[in-house]
Amino acid sequence: MTTISTPAEQVPASAPPAPRPDVNRKRMARLGWSFSAPALILIAAVTIFPIVYSVVMSLSNVTVTGSGINLGGFTTSNYSAVVSNSTWHYALGFTVIYTVVTVVVELVLGTMIALVLQRLTAGRGWMMALLLLPWSMITVINAQLWAYIYQGTYGVATALFGVQNILGTKTPAIIGLMVADIWKTTPFVAIIVLAGLVMLPGDIYEAAEVDGSSGWSTFWRITVPLLRPTLALAVLFRVLQAFGLFDLPFVMTNGGPGTATTSLAILGYKAMFQNLHFGTGAAVATTTALLVLLGCLLSLRTFRVQVGKENS
Amino acid sequence: MRRRNRTGWRRVINGINISTFLVVLFIGLPLYWLIASSFKTPVNIGASPPQYFPDPVSGAGYSQAFNQYNFGQYFINSLIVTLVATALVLIFGTMAGYALGRLPMRGKFTLMVSLLIISVFPAIAVIAPLYTLLKDLGWLNSYQGLIIPYTAFNLPFAIWILRNYMLGIPKEMEETGRIDGAGPLRTIWSIILPMALPGVFTAGIFCFTACWTEFLMALTFNSANNFKTIPVGIATFGTALEVPYGPIFAASVVAVVPIGILVFIFRKFVISGLTSGAVKG
Repeated sequence: MTTISTPAEQVPASAPPAPRPDVNRKRMARLGWSFSAPALILIAAVTIFPIVYSVVMSLSNVTVTGSGINLGGFTTSNYSAVVSNSTWHYALGFTVIYTVVTVVVELVLGTMIALVLQRLTAGRGWMMALLLLPWSMITVINAQLWAYIYQGTYGVATALFGVQNILGTKTPAIIGLMVADIWKTTPFVAIIVLAGLVMLPGDIYEAAEVDGSSGWSTFWRITVPLLRPTLALAVLFRVLQAFGLFDLPFVMTNGGPGTATTSLAILGYKAMFQNLHFGTGAAVATTTALLVLLGCLLSLRTFRVQVGKENS
Repeated sequence: MRRRNRTGWRRVINGINISTFLVVLFIGLPLYWLIASSFKTPVNIGASPPQYFPDPVSGAGYSQAFNQYNFGQYFINSLIVTLVATALVLIFGTMAGYALGRLPMRGKFTLMVSLLIISVFPAIAVIAPLYTLLKDLGWLNSYQGLIIPYTAFNLPFAIWILRNYMLGIPKEMEETGRIDGAGPLRTIWSIILPMALPGVFTAGIFCFTACWTEFLMALTFNSANNFKTIPVGIATFGTALEVPYGPIFAASVVAVVPIGILVFIFRKFVISGLTSGAVKG
């Protein structure tokens, strides 16, 4: 107390000492972690732990006993059984083709709908509400609705187009499934594209018009490049989501006829919960998850752009 | 000149009307078919050629759905699971979103990207371990057996939306609270939360929709009749030989109502959520 204080330390006794910035920062960081802890612990417990367990299961000699699942010893036979299985080859091919076709069609149709709605002056709110209805509909309901439309004897598609037994024949069943998916998801894509369109700066279009650019070339040279970030993220999410395809074919066709509409998720589900082959089922699930993860890593730049944009 | 302009305008308007009309037809016709079929009599629903207008209008499907197929119970189950999970997601998500959006934490970037990846991870990858875990806990066919996984799976996306809203709130607002001597929880509650309310609505709608429509986990974990949710109920009406479309569509129309009302009231927030960059189907 007798030491000579430097001017900086001569604080009036009544005021509390201001905490040094780095101490404050540390305290805030600790606060941040304790605020995030409930969410992060729950997410880890319910997602990360099961993912790890799934991988362990896929590498084990799993047997099902009366009381539950017995993991057994280490084996890679689940993976070799899956990779050499022609049903798995087919499911992989089906899932990939289904994903590519539906996402491309949804993107093209969704962009067209967005361009139509952009020019709509009145009633845009009602159109938005209409677009949101299929998006918010339970997929199981969508599946039942289209199964009824395609029904072999009294379905309306059968009556109007004269196509018999749509869901009982391989190619028509696949196309029918895609149509149902496109109907439900195109409005969702349209909303995202429309939002992207609305946010584009208007003066660029005026400049293009002054330069004598036609509607078509304006679209390809100005609208599409400017929309690219929006479209990229929408496509990425749609692709990753479509890859987990389960509800629609499970209810509409139960993966049939035969295995014509068996997606990777349906294959994994049936292996585990219908045939009780938990090892192979886990191997199917893990390979599907790995493919999704690979897709995420390949598109990390799109994610990073997103995080970066939000941070600025 | 003036005249030509006007006819030109009219042509444009007509063109738009036709394409708008086509869009409405594309989306509306299947919806019409769902609603119309729900009002057909049990005989007419299987009429060939199909009836384009329900005649006579019948409520048989609706009474069958509730009296014969236990749909009331499924509806209550869905409501309980969805509401509790959404509430939990909003509480934990707001806290985490606040922390990740506004507090200095190391490794935030990695955390956010991990959350984004988890939010698109296919449910099939976790279903078997969760099943055995819930079985060991004796939580198969229980409300918590769905509420806990739903909360965890919807948290990452909610944290994303809420964080983005939190980032947009000016720093000064918080400092005002701090100078007034309010603690951090108090600051969130009375200063940050009111400003982040649109984000909370958006996250809430997305979570509600996701829980209300979820099928795979509900099918695997809650297969007992008393604990089925709407999607599982509607998928398992009837047998392999006969699908009772009347009660199925009646139940479907009833199931669309709550979410339709919610989406209609909050459509501004849904759209801003879909467009804030973080996109999910």
